[in-house]
Amino acid sequence: MSIAPDILFKIAGFPVTNTIITTLLTDLVLILIVICVSKTLSLKPKGFQNVVEIVIDYFYDLIEDTAGKKVSFIYPWVLTFFLFIVISNLAAQFPGFESIRFHPAGYGEEGVPFLRAATSDLNTTLALATISVIAANIIAIVRIGIKSYILKFVSFKMFPIFMFVGILEFANELTKFISFSFRLLGNIFAGESMLSQMYHLFPIGIPLPFMALEFMVAVIQALVFSMLTMAFMHILSDKPQH
Amino acid sequence: MGILHTFGLEASLFLFQIINFLVILFILTKFLYKPIRNMVEERKRKIDQSLRDAEDAKAALENAGAERKRILGDAKKDADIMTAATKRQLSETKEKLTKEAKERSQQIIDEAKQRAVVELENVNKQVGRMSVDLSGKIMTKLFSDLFTDEDKQKILSRALEKIEKGGYETGSN
Repeated sequence: MSIAPDILFKIAGFPVTNTIITTLLTDLVLILIVICVSKTLSLKPKGFQNVVEIVIDYFYDLIEDTAGKKVSFIYPWVLTFFLFIVISNLAAQFPGFESIRFHPAGYGEEGVPFLRAATSDLNTTLALATISVIAANIIAIVRIGIKSYILKFVSFKMFPIFMFVGILEFANELTKFISFSFRLLGNIFAGESMLSQMYHLFPIGIPLPFMALEFMVAVIQALVFSMLTMAFMHILSDKPQH
Repeated sequence: MGILHTFGLEASLFLFQIINFLVILFILTKFLYKPIRNMVEERKRKIDQSLRDAEDAKAALENAGAERKRILGDAKKDADIMTAATKRQLSETKEKLTKEAKERSQQIIDEAKQRAVVELENVNKQVGRMSVDLSGKIMTKLFSDLFTDEDKQKILSRALEKIEKGGYETGSN
């Protein structure tokens, strides 16, 4: 199993990979959720609306407890990260993700899996990390103003201490791209690879506990990504202390 | 670049994922989070309003109870005052009627007494006349031979005169 996504076919030069297919399936699930809830939305919630309300309310309250009044502009980002990553991760636990094979030219007899977790692709995780970091910085600029934002990274007070602190802060922002993207990629890709090997070695029974473990990892990684995004958005949109 | 190729990093796929996520973020925010949050807020507002209404109703009920007690108290006071006034009036009326009845009965008694006295006088006079007539007749019968008509007439006249003066009432001749 290659760490790079497998290209299934190309549409006008655009490479359609198995992770792109899963991304579109994740989008479809999310849009179906939106349609289902929109159609039956009522003041007296019942059925599926209850579940969606519980999830949205839980995240809203959690973010409100941490970020206070900033909740209104932080929670859509955090919740979307969570829903997108968790659905994408959990989708990989469904049957067919490893077994349905596609045979593009040059991949031999075995072919490639038609479906693969979107978050096991660096393109996806780096894109999510980029959005998270850039959104956090844009929110910070909007909230505290460009002057206070720059002061977080460039300060001549108590020279050279805060200057050095500013450089560290800047380096911290850059490392977020790597930490965000590779943490998620590493966990999900490792899980998929392990399960793939387990299916090959022990097709029945033995992979079950590993599947349960992967189920937990899928939810935990989604939660870690979204909670870190919330924390960074909250911390960055606070005025600098120095 | 070799590492990036190993990880399969491609600009088109990276951009696709960014655009895809932003589109999903827009759809979810506009059509899921906002309607649900608005619904939850609306529900909370209605629940708060209902709780406030319940509190108001409870307070109104307590006020109504107090008002009822106050009105009952006032009514009892008024009733006591009216009862006392009625009793006093009744007592006065009773006294007045008793006094009038007593006066009237006294008046009736006095009138009856006066009438009785007049009646007695009349009876006396009548008895006197009857006794004179009777005496005259007896005398006429006894002394018709002894006295002349002229003497009889004189005696009779004198007796009548005396009767008219009330001489026989006292028992003297």
